[in-house]
Amino acid sequence: MSVYIIPILILILIIYATIKKVNVYNCFTCGAKKSFDLVLSIFPYIASIMICVMLFRLSGLATFLVKILSPLFNFLGIPTEVCELVLLRPFTGSGSLSLLSDIIKTYGVDSYISRCACSIMGSSETIFYVSSVYFANSKIKNITPAILVALFGNLFSAILSCLFCKII
Amino acid sequence: MILSLFTLIIVSPNLIISAMIDTSKSCVSLCIDLLAIYAVWLAILEIVDKCGLGEKLASLLYKPIKKIFKLTDKNQIKYVAMNLSCNLLGLGNASTPSGIEAIRLMDKDLPKTRFAMLMLLVINAMGLQLFPTTIIGLRANLQSSNPSDIILPTFLSTIIPTIICVLFMHFVYKIKEKKK
Repeated sequence: MSVYIIPILILILIIYATIKKVNVYNCFTCGAKKSFDLVLSIFPYIASIMICVMLFRLSGLATFLVKILSPLFNFLGIPTEVCELVLLRPFTGSGSLSLLSDIIKTYGVDSYISRCACSIMGSSETIFYVSSVYFANSKIKNITPAILVALFGNLFSAILSCLFCKII
Repeated sequence: MILSLFTLIIVSPNLIISAMIDTSKSCVSLCIDLLAIYAVWLAILEIVDKCGLGEKLASLLYKPIKKIFKLTDKNQIKYVAMNLSCNLLGLGNASTPSGIEAIRLMDKDLPKTRFAMLMLLVINAMGLQLFPTTIIGLRANLQSSNPSDIILPTFLSTIIPTIICVLFMHFVYKIKEKKK
């Protein structure tokens, strides 16, 4: 069902544009052209943030952090099996997606653990990536408070995910 | 970063440079992917914009956005509105260009818009969406008996923290205003 929503919206948009006598082809090329500048302007920031994250994981500090924090997470109602996902999620989208499919394959797709993991994945976002991309060319450089709020929010949503998956 | 480099130098010094270059490589290919994705979405957004649909969306969402973000400029509100609606539809990649455009516009009005910019970041970083399409797709691929039964828990566990974070931001903002 959801497969159809976006293509149909796009179709309606183009029909609407034609009725409004907008030059669809010109608009399309103009928009597509902007993509180069956009990607060029965010590339350095994505590269540096990804290298930092990779160093953090490769050095083993990430697993160390999971070990330290998992008792705390257990206390908050998050199972140990998904701790790594909760910690990895803010840093990398593709990394956490592959971790998620590993979890599903290990524990079975309809198990509580997998549903938890899916819900955590769906209710959070790659905070560091988003913030580095959005604030790439901004004069504001100190965005730490906002990142802290967002990190707290994502942790909270992980706790809620585990709770709701139990109830519903 | 220093800490992880330090640990790495002790554990496996020969890996560092090659791993950094590998990551950089995967970043280049990510950017090429993004180039393709953004080309399509920016083109569609351009059509939306030229049709005047952006303005319509903005006027529809004018009041809530004004309240949440404390913005008044119509043009800025337009891009924030587009960014939020793309997010809600689950089009993460389409929301990024409009988000960047909103940030760029607001950047000119600093420091007045500082609060709105941070708020936009927080809301985007909460991953607010109505249908987690990627995950439903993944579950369907792996033969789940009911792939979409996570919609409700996911939605609830993203909307509640988002509201709390927004309230918290407003709370901090008010305290700061009082100090002045």
